[in-house]
Amino acid sequence: MSRRYDSRTTIFSPEGRLYQVEYAMEAIGNAGSAIGILSKDGVVLVGEKKVTSKLLQTSTSTEKMYKIDDHVACAVAGIMSDANILINTARVQAQRYTFSYQEPMPVEQLVQSLCDTKQGYTQFGGLRPFGVSFLFAGWDKNYGFQLYMSDPSGNYGGWKAAAVGANNQAAQSMLKQDYKDDISREEAVQLALKVLSKTMDSTSLTSEKLELAEIFLSSSGKVKYQVCTPEDLSKMLVKYGVTQPPAEA
Amino acid sequence: MSIFEYNGSALVAMVGKNCFAIASDRRLGVQLQTIATDFQRIFKIHDKLFLGLSGLGSDAQTLHQRLVFRHKLYQLREERDMKPETFASLVSAMLYEKRFGPYFVQPVIAGLGEDDKPFICTMDSIGAKELAKDFVVAGTASESLYGACESMFKPDMDHEELFETISQALVSSIDRDCLSGWGGHVYIVTPTEVTERILKGRMD
Repeated sequence: MSRRYDSRTTIFSPEGRLYQVEYAMEAIGNAGSAIGILSKDGVVLVGEKKVTSKLLQTSTSTEKMYKIDDHVACAVAGIMSDANILINTARVQAQRYTFSYQEPMPVEQLVQSLCDTKQGYTQFGGLRPFGVSFLFAGWDKNYGFQLYMSDPSGNYGGWKAAAVGANNQAAQSMLKQDYKDDISREEAVQLALKVLSKTMDSTSLTSEKLELAEIFLSSSGKVKYQVCTPEDLSKMLVKYGVTQPPAEA
Repeated sequence: MSIFEYNGSALVAMVGKNCFAIASDRRLGVQLQTIATDFQRIFKIHDKLFLGLSGLGSDAQTLHQRLVFRHKLYQLREERDMKPETFASLVSAMLYEKRFGPYFVQPVIAGLGEDDKPFICTMDSIGAKELAKDFVVAGTASESLYGACESMFKPDMDHEELFETISQALVSSIDRDCLSGWGGHVYIVTPTEVTERILKGRMD
């Protein structure tokens, strides 16, 4: 019966559901997961890379983590091509704000602005919604470090710890158990890697299958967005007991 | 009085051996009245690229803000800094967009390009680029600056000698121009560091 109501994105079903939005969330549920954790001195984003082939040309570009502005970054789960459009939109919105007000755009305003764009695709135009969920991590002078999660419907919420993508329910409940309010950034990294390793499908976890990024304040007080190098990531995985150290030859 | 002479300005950039220098005066005036003595005319785009904007102060600030907008997006998409030659083309294109209602500025662009080779250029208010190998000047004091630079410039100066030369050229030209003055702002850029110095000249 629901088949009748899913061909047009902008119609409610009799039960009051928007099927296209729900189908978009299904698509994200099959994509690589991402976890974000807010700590008192920074925000940590970890992502699972789905595309791992030896033939892939690895450059410095990341697959799941993107910088939106100097003080905001995001992790992506879902259809990458949809994500690229939204990331570009977010970047332009952030710069337009900075041009008008000569200061960095507050994180929540940026998230809200992007979510307003996403919501438009659920109400008019006849175009399908974006099949992406984001985890936004950032810092502004009003509210300090913040973590937001947004989905294809255009809903967003501020979170202390959140997970999107495959197995996000399991990851979310694990985070709920182990998260402490005064967690430090290092503990947050450890928690994120542990939760991700438990919810990921693959049997062995290596730095090629993960991406880790952090937003924190540098010693000079400026916001820094840093993606962890694969070497440092491998060392961390061994240190936190997530992978076995390489066998001695 | 021409609109280009409304606020008063002096800008000069010089090429040295594996380095460059860019300098400006610090006066902001409204015709003959001095309003500020610490006005910023030289802006850093990234560690190896500086932009100086002479002419109308308001247009200089607005154009700089627009260029920051464009450059930030370029950095995010390309994941690298813009080369000076590319940036000069961007500035030129943006100025020509306003061909029939232009920004009343004369930019001076100085940067270290590929292999840290120094690059300087200037353009008119509608984007006509002028590349030079030695020095470029702009502003109300430009005629004096041309003379001072032509006589004081030598090729392949190291960064200390370059600082002395550009400072002398700037200060002596500013002293001959009633609309520029109140000291100088000099940036010396080498592949490894950026030095910013304030010059004290005739405070008038």
